[in-house]
Amino acid sequence: AGGGGGRGQGCVLKQIHLNVTDLGLGYRSSEEMIFKYCSGPCRKSETNYDKILYNLVHNKKLPHKDTPPQACCRPIAFDDDLSFLDDSLVYHTVRKHSARKCGCV
Amino acid sequence: LEGASGLYFPQNEYTETVYVGQPVGTPILQVHAMLDSDSERPHFYLCWLSSLRRPPYSSWFQLDIYTGVLSLNKTLEESDFALLYHTSRYVKKLILHAMVLPELTHRSKCANRNAPRIMLDFVNTTLPQCAQTDMKELCFPHRDTSNPHVRENRFPGALRQLRRLTRLNVCPNYTISYHVESDTPAPFAVNDNTTELVVTAPLDREESECYRLVLVCTVRQETIITREDIPLDVFVNDEDDNAPYVNGTDTADIVISFNRTKGGSFGSLFVFDRDLTPIYPIDQSHNKYVGTLLNSDPWIKETFDIKDTFSEKKASHGGIRETVHDYQLVLKRNLYVTENRTLYLDYLVNDTTYPGLEGTVMLHFNVTILPVPIRFANITHIFTLTRRASVYAQVGRVCVDHCLQIDGFGVTYRLEVPDKNVSADLLSCYAAISITQSSEGVWGLLYVNDSEALRRSDCQDLQYVVVAQEEHTQLEASTQIHVVLDGEASKAAQGGQQLQSCAEKRWRGDCESARGLGATTGRCQWRQGTQKAISEDYSTCSPDLRTCPDSVCDAVESKDMTICPQDCTKEPVIGGHERGLSGSGIKACHGTCYCFSEKCFCEIDPVEEVLCDDMCKTIIATAL
Repeated sequence: AGGGGGRGQGCVLKQIHLNVTDLGLGYRSSEEMIFKYCSGPCRKSETNYDKILYNLVHNKKLPHKDTPPQACCRPIAFDDDLSFLDDSLVYHTVRKHSARKCGCV
Repeated sequence: LEGASGLYFPQNEYTETVYVGQPVGTPILQVHAMLDSDSERPHFYLCWLSSLRRPPYSSWFQLDIYTGVLSLNKTLEESDFALLYHTSRYVKKLILHAMVLPELTHRSKCANRNAPRIMLDFVNTTLPQCAQTDMKELCFPHRDTSNPHVRENRFPGALRQLRRLTRLNVCPNYTISYHVESDTPAPFAVNDNTTELVVTAPLDREESECYRLVLVCTVRQETIITREDIPLDVFVNDEDDNAPYVNGTDTADIVISFNRTKGGSFGSLFVFDRDLTPIYPIDQSHNKYVGTLLNSDPWIKETFDIKDTFSEKKASHGGIRETVHDYQLVLKRNLYVTENRTLYLDYLVNDTTYPGLEGTVMLHFNVTILPVPIRFANITHIFTLTRRASVYAQVGRVCVDHCLQIDGFGVTYRLEVPDKNVSADLLSCYAAISITQSSEGVWGLLYVNDSEALRRSDCQDLQYVVVAQEEHTQLEASTQIHVVLDGEASKAAQGGQQLQSCAEKRWRGDCESARGLGATTGRCQWRQGTQKAISEDYSTCSPDLRTCPDSVCDAVESKDMTICPQDCTKEPVIGGHERGLSGSGIKACHGTCYCFSEKCFCEIDPVEEVLCDDMCKTIIATAL
């Protein structure tokens, strides 16, 4: 699922136990959840393309502001929806909030 | 109801315990039937719900046809216990059913579904001796929670055997007697000869629905007297013995004017009945009312209906439940605006199960249908509009007289040019404004259709005629409107630059300097929220704060999704939010709401948060 770029070994799924209020989305609820996220380096998925771009910028053949971002460790699939009841007894459902699978993209 | 038997069991469950070693002939319990008259004679039988699946223990018991005493047909052996397969190793449940008939029969299938259940716990030990039996056990069956139900207006008689027949000989030296107590006078007593609980008089549910009794058992040993008591509620079942009546008026005066929509209901006449109206089972006819519209006029029959809704309430005196029927006049079709007449409707309500003669009530509906004139209020509509307004800016709205009360018919609006013989140039000025129908169907919304025309110096103040047309009768009305153009006309056209959506702007400064689609003043407007949490008063950039965001995606806003995505978006929203009631738009947002096309975000601006943290608030507070 990592696509043509392959998958970096360093990019892994991690998890942390949180309160819904920790998400910073403004919801007031005492419910708790497991938040999963992607983290780690993506060096292993680098290609000649990345190398060439880096060299061109370094040798000032390309303007500095064109420095392309490197491959990133990002979710490539998301967890199931999160539903919870807030303090005013209103139900909320948050979609695409937590990673299920990670990849360097 | 002559000929039909009223025999019934006042209890739908009986429980007892049987033990290994109890000899043939041992009495176990007694069932009772309530009678309709002194001459009636009940005949009791054990019966089976299905004759195919008769249980193996069915022949171990017999029910005395005249007394209703259930006794053992065989001595219970340990092998009998082993014969039964059941989950528990110590107690097995034996279930029997009983029926009662006024005559002799050979049938063994239960006559109706109300055959009471006899639940016997078969225990794999012998009957405990006197020393091992506590007083409560001697007096009352263990776990017996069934309460008797007695029908009102019936012949009095015995309801329940109080003695535990299986324990009659366990403690031969004890004398056990029963009596019944009650806080309020209650027609119940214990027959000392038979130890039966007896109802001594016919009951009336409209007087008392439930009698709270205490059964008292007194056990006398040589020197000790022990008293044991258990509560017993006796419920009184209802029958239809009260006629319907009207408390107050039987006439409703109804005027139908602006609301003439199909399904609309008018007036309310109440009919009371002191009897209950059960809603389950559904096919039950007890106290069911039948209503008849007594008019034969076909116009009335196709236009009106009477709706009966009933509810149960507790009477103010005594708290006895009774039924209240509410009769309302209902329109079966939309009435035309021109319809104009007066009519009288008579409605006969019949309590079909009331046995007396006076089981009906007549209701009267005096109905006046007034025509609705389609007209505008006699005022000149003047709207002021700045020449800088963007396309889709809302100019104002018009509607016919009483438009907010109108229901059941639609009005469409169109704009006309008062003088058609004007030059082509001037005619093109009139393209500046358009009208559209509001989604509720009663308002006409005026909006900017061509913003270039607004800015042209040769386009001066604009006069239009608004024509309203009623959808069914095509009746029309018209009014003059005057759009005053405010501000400087620009000589050169501004060029067809693509207008952005105000909702894209995330910060106040960007917002207020931007020209956006639908902006009434030509510039976007900023709304500053004050709440930190998810609130309806969120910060956002809007083309016109009067209409956006207001949780309604109106007819103009829905012409282009980028005018007011805050009210109109159907896409998922990122960040803490609450959706609008209809599923579109955003009702409440966390922090600032901004949107790219239809994709909206709700978030606290991190810069803004840093600007004034708790420390800063303390400083401000101190400074103040």
